[in-house]
Amino acid sequence: MPGMRDVEIRSRSTELLIMCIVFMLSLPVITGYALIILSSFSRDMVTNLDPSAFKPTLTNWILLFHGRTALFAGIRVNIWGIVFNTLIVALGISLLVTITGALTGYAISRMNFHGRKHIMALLILLHAFPGSVLVVGVAFIYRLFMPSYTYVVYYSFFFVILARAAIEIPMATWLMKGFFDMIPWEIEWSAIVDGASRIRVWWKILLPLIKPGLAAVMLFGFLAGWMDLIYVRTFLAEPTLAVFIEYNVHAEYAYLPLVAAAGTLYLLPTILFFLFAQKLIFTISVSGIKG
Amino acid sequence: MVRALSKIAAIIIIIVIIIGVGLAYYFVTSGGGGGGAQPVKVELSGNFENDAIAIGKALKNNGITEVKYTVWSGGDPNSVMRVYGIVEAAERIMEIWRNNGVDVKITIDTNYAQKPDAVYQDYISKWALNQAPDIMANGYVYIASLASEGYILDLTDYLAKYNSFKNSFYKTVMDAMTYKGKIYGIPQDTEARPLYINKKIAACAGIDLKGLADKVKNGEITWADIYNMAKQAKDKGCAEWGLIHRKGSAHPDLIQFIYAFGGKLYDEKNDKLVLDKEAVYKWFATEKAFVDAGLLPSDMMSWDWGKQIHPTVVNGKAFAFIGGVWHWTEWQTKAYYHDPETGEDRGLKPEEVKEFFYYTLFPAGEKGKDPVTLSQPFAWVINSKAGYQNPKYDLLKDVYQKLAFLLVVKASDPDIIAIHSIISSHLPVTEAASNLLSDENWLNKLKNLEMIKSDKVKNAIKDIVSKTANPINIEFLKNTTYMLEYTHFTPKHPQYPKLADLFADAIDKVLRGQMSPEDAVNYLVDKINSDPDLKDAVEVMGEIPSGWSLTG
Repeated sequence: MPGMRDVEIRSRSTELLIMCIVFMLSLPVITGYALIILSSFSRDMVTNLDPSAFKPTLTNWILLFHGRTALFAGIRVNIWGIVFNTLIVALGISLLVTITGALTGYAISRMNFHGRKHIMALLILLHAFPGSVLVVGVAFIYRLFMPSYTYVVYYSFFFVILARAAIEIPMATWLMKGFFDMIPWEIEWSAIVDGASRIRVWWKILLPLIKPGLAAVMLFGFLAGWMDLIYVRTFLAEPTLAVFIEYNVHAEYAYLPLVAAAGTLYLLPTILFFLFAQKLIFTISVSGIKG
Repeated sequence: MVRALSKIAAIIIIIVIIIGVGLAYYFVTSGGGGGGAQPVKVELSGNFENDAIAIGKALKNNGITEVKYTVWSGGDPNSVMRVYGIVEAAERIMEIWRNNGVDVKITIDTNYAQKPDAVYQDYISKWALNQAPDIMANGYVYIASLASEGYILDLTDYLAKYNSFKNSFYKTVMDAMTYKGKIYGIPQDTEARPLYINKKIAACAGIDLKGLADKVKNGEITWADIYNMAKQAKDKGCAEWGLIHRKGSAHPDLIQFIYAFGGKLYDEKNDKLVLDKEAVYKWFATEKAFVDAGLLPSDMMSWDWGKQIHPTVVNGKAFAFIGGVWHWTEWQTKAYYHDPETGEDRGLKPEEVKEFFYYTLFPAGEKGKDPVTLSQPFAWVINSKAGYQNPKYDLLKDVYQKLAFLLVVKASDPDIIAIHSIISSHLPVTEAASNLLSDENWLNKLKNLEMIKSDKVKNAIKDIVSKTANPINIEFLKNTTYMLEYTHFTPKHPQYPKLADLFADAIDKVLRGQMSPEDAVNYLVDKINSDPDLKDAVEVMGEIPSGWSLTG
């Protein structure tokens, strides 16, 4: 029809305007990231847009990789051990949240069982509780199953992953349920008719279709573990990057450019993970299916 | 059929998981126990070497070849001996063991944060989770809460055997380690808070500093005199500011004013905090006088340490600075000084610090009162579950605890204390360590760290030692140790931090001109009365003096 345009196609100028607005809105965040990254390569903190504040150096990174906590003196720590601890916690939570979320999301989306509605309501309620409110109760559970002293370190990792994942699972379940809801029942039906078990259908047919959802949940789980301070500081026997930074930011003594380097290192996996998963996350369409 | 099979499979899997978890729990909780045998005990004799050997043999006889301890502490980056002291002590004990055929290894895990209060908070939150360290060096103020919760070991009986060791510490500092008549800590370091005066500004303003420290000591020079000198320096255009002090908190530097005006902060008899209205009013009025004369910035409490306070002091813009002994070396290791010749920011050289700064006690508030300083000694405390990470804990609990005690005793060797004092610019807590500072022979050995047996410690502190072990710094420590005779401590009362916060709030309002000193004291009384906990904990005494002013 003449004069009719697809609503999704905007004129170039409108697009440019939207881009500008989005850029302006993200500017404070981008500036914050840029300043911390610049500071990590500078002898002084770059806290404004004055270029003279930037005094290039690699010292901060060298100090950080040597596990030094101050420009001069200070204790030496095993920084790679700390990165490793953080990775274990973040990956552990990510994995647990994704697996549990994908299983429960599938069950709630596809199966009819007693208490299904109540579980759905409870999940929302659980999500409404911030993790910090639950710390006392979680500490009680920690003590309930506390092993003999020798195993405390392993137990603390296991426990933190479990406890922190438990807080993320309600949200993950809802997200995954949404993704499973988008897949037509017919696909599953035909597979079951062909003799596949429920688990096989879930694994072979449904999961590949909701990769974007899995990536999103995995990313949220990873970030929850990577960024967590309260749970790791309270329950983990070993430090993570967040705890390390928290311990070394003290206005009276801290050499802040070194903290900025630690902060940049702390940001890195998040940015990388996001960049790699970005394409997957934004592919919301369920390919090859017509409703 | 498929459905039935999967149901059975699911039930079997669940049963296997339950049994697995149960078994794991059983093994995990039953591991490391003593198996019901009689606990092993070692009696301390007071002879360090004999006790160390007896403990080593007890461990060996019970099949222990390696013991692990964790030590936590915190503070400025130069104070790392607060953890490395224990690492070195372990090395020294192992040497005794090796010489006596005891083949047991001690491993020390260290954790050091820049915020000692965060270390304390982690200690209390992690104690019940079996993650607290075996030994911690932290502020003596925490002894009360840690002891009352049963988190730390009562050392009274151990120290009864080690009486001469106990008596080797300065009495005032050792007294701060007690709580309800029992000793819970071993002093690690202490400090004094001198008033630094810029020599160049004094010379420019024609102020003769000769003998000033003695006059302050005798009470001849009071804060009114400091005010007059600062005014003279400012009026003659020699200084931008007359006085600079800490930011943010009134504790502990500004609290010295209360003592300098003869006030009290704690009533031991009733175990209550005290708001001494007269002394607090005089403190506020003194600072107000400085602000009114343009000598002290009205926004002093929100200045930045690194960007404003230290650069102002170090670059000769302030006549006097209420600081601490540790600033002497901090000014050498941090780039606060802007070199006018090269235009670069750098740390001061030791000879420059000496050339720039004169130091005295914190002067008396007014005639008839005494000069003061304020100390917050660090204390080694031992976890009441010390050694719990090691095998056969139930059987060897007593041995592990006593070994932790011996580690602390060894970490209090005069040379370890002296090294810590030199590199961190804290004051030594024993006379023997103090004497080492005058021992030329020992100081020569210090250059190569000959006395340090642990390579880990040697590598970690050699840079700090080469930068700080300097005759000028050592002379400074020797010259300030006398200040401990005038020292005061802040109360070991759980409500004290809250009261200190109120002081900071009130003095900030006075400096900014939002409240008169009188209103600020009344504001404090109102604030105390409106908080039920504080109201119970604080005794308000004295009256605001009428017609009092700093300069009479």
